[in-house]
Amino acid sequence: MSEAAIRLEGLTKRFGALTAVDDLSFDVAKGSIFGFLGPNGSGKSTCIRMLCGLLEPTSGTATVNDFDIISDPESVKTSIGYMSQNFSLYDDLTVWENITFFARVYGLSGDRLQRRADDVMGIVGITDQKDKIAQTLSGGWKQRLALATALVHEPPLLFLDEPTAGIDPVARRALWDLLFVLAGEGKTLFVTTHYMDEAERCAALGYIYQSRLIALGTPEQLKSLPDVNRPGERRVELRAGRATDALAAVRHLPFVIDATIFGEGVHLVVPSDMSDDDILQAVALPDARVEEIEPSLEDVFVTLTERLAGEA
Amino acid sequence: MLLRGFTAVLYKEFLHLRRDPLAIFFALLIPMVQLTIFGYAIDMDVKNIPMAIVDFDHSQESRAFVQALENTQYATLRYVARSHDELLGLIRAGKASIGLEFPPGFGRGVRQGSGQQLLVLVDGSDSQVAFRAQAVTSQLGVMFRNSQERPPVDVRTTVLFNPDSRSANFMVPGLIGIILQIVTVALTAFSLVREREKGTLEQLMVSPVGKLGLLLGKLLPYALVGLVEVATVLIVGRLLFGVPIHGSVTLLFLMAIPFLLAALGFGLLISTVARTQAQALQGVMLVMLPSVLLSGFMFPRASMPLLIYYITFAIPATHFLEILRGIIVRGAGFSDLWPWFVALVGIAVLILTIATARFRKSLS
Repeated sequence: MSEAAIRLEGLTKRFGALTAVDDLSFDVAKGSIFGFLGPNGSGKSTCIRMLCGLLEPTSGTATVNDFDIISDPESVKTSIGYMSQNFSLYDDLTVWENITFFARVYGLSGDRLQRRADDVMGIVGITDQKDKIAQTLSGGWKQRLALATALVHEPPLLFLDEPTAGIDPVARRALWDLLFVLAGEGKTLFVTTHYMDEAERCAALGYIYQSRLIALGTPEQLKSLPDVNRPGERRVELRAGRATDALAAVRHLPFVIDATIFGEGVHLVVPSDMSDDDILQAVALPDARVEEIEPSLEDVFVTLTERLAGEA
Repeated sequence: MLLRGFTAVLYKEFLHLRRDPLAIFFALLIPMVQLTIFGYAIDMDVKNIPMAIVDFDHSQESRAFVQALENTQYATLRYVARSHDELLGLIRAGKASIGLEFPPGFGRGVRQGSGQQLLVLVDGSDSQVAFRAQAVTSQLGVMFRNSQERPPVDVRTTVLFNPDSRSANFMVPGLIGIILQIVTVALTAFSLVREREKGTLEQLMVSPVGKLGLLLGKLLPYALVGLVEVATVLIVGRLLFGVPIHGSVTLLFLMAIPFLLAALGFGLLISTVARTQAQALQGVMLVMLPSVLLSGFMFPRASMPLLIYYITFAIPATHFLEILRGIIVRGAGFSDLWPWFVALVGIAVLILTIATARFRKSLS
């Protein structure tokens, strides 16, 4: 048994002339939450489909729970849980019927089936709504139900493809609390998301852009990447009235390397010889404030993406 | 391993069916409506054709001819016109489909046996009516010529198996085949496309469910619904229209199996092409039309152009309809029907092979 729940070795998938996943190699540690990030169409879904044993790689391979995805996809399937971004359960069946159906598909029966179905309902807290038709559940509850069905066969590893897309912030928080509980119990979670606050909560992150992995590490490691904090540059936040006005004021200043709105302020990348006063003077807006900041994860990904797009 | 998850999927499909009673209701109602329409309204036996006459003779013979025609029950006298133009106008207006014009001296000619002409106008806009009207009037003309004289050849036709030529006896067996096909093709295609549309198929594919288990679990319930409908149509056909079953019901159900498999294959094939339920509906129509029009359900295959006639052999319904009419109407046994059965098995195997290959491919 290795310490990695997932190990990718040069995993590559081509569809004709298009390379959807290009030479990915990394490990996902057991019992951790791994955030798999990247723009839409970057190859995330194709990669997950390969790791779930749905799609054969063109070259390279991967092991999932120590099973090879090429030679033993069926063992891979029994050892993982999968929850997709769209509610993909039967809306005309009840909560209980959905859970027990998937339990049966995974080969559970009799007492064990009843017990596991009761357990997972308890874990996600949906026991009260056992006999509700899935269609009548709200978005957050639907995702909890989906999580329950993904857990019913006790997989050590869960793939969650944008599990929080389109649900409200409270439900989003509740779902993440659940994910932490699961990780605490030793389950490995492989999560894709577009929410940076969710990415911050992951133990490790992989960022995929144009089919290639361009960053890998803990959120802290990514924020201190040299590509993000290049020598001779520094990152500051400018606050001056409305953020849109501030952005308009700085966008065309010759020394500004990058400017993006964040909340009520604007994040600027400027040469490190520009002092706070130099910036304030150039901006010339009333009540302006400048403060040195660490890059956020969003800064990291926007910067990395722009650098690569610029090189191409 | 291939069959893994079969019972789970099977049970789930029955849950779907139970959760959607309206679908079951329609699945059973539609065949009943069709049976009633075809059984009562679309009566191909042409009767009571409206008739108009203009009689310039006013003889006993002209009246006797009209009376004889009415006695056949094929025609009913509706209008008496005073001129040729009025007679023509009645037919053009659609008030009468047969027009008889008795010339002056008609009765005298008949009495002398000199061969008397009678003008018969027939509305050709409905070919069934026109055909029947022509046949009846000319037949009557021959008989009327001289009732004492024997005709040179005395032709006496005996209609076997369906002596009254009742269309219900002809339609009900055909309807069984068509209904079975509509229900199984449509339900199969829709149930699979719905899973694809909703993303549940993807959820199933990441599970260890066997492809065969998934397929059989999904198809079997709809095959059963189809068989229940066959039984219903047989019973209703018997009770409502008095259609007797001369052959073996067991044989009928046994021979329905390859037909059912072919229909499930079509449904499966549609589901591999259609991405949405709307597209699936069009696919179902595409399969239905040749089955209704070319299988011999409505029109005799023998009178089709040669190329089309050959094409009809590729349609499963063609073979099944021959089997159904053979068993129900003629009381035929396996020894009479095996060529149709063998052909049906061949078609079913071919369609299912193509469909399952495409289905497997569409999953990955």
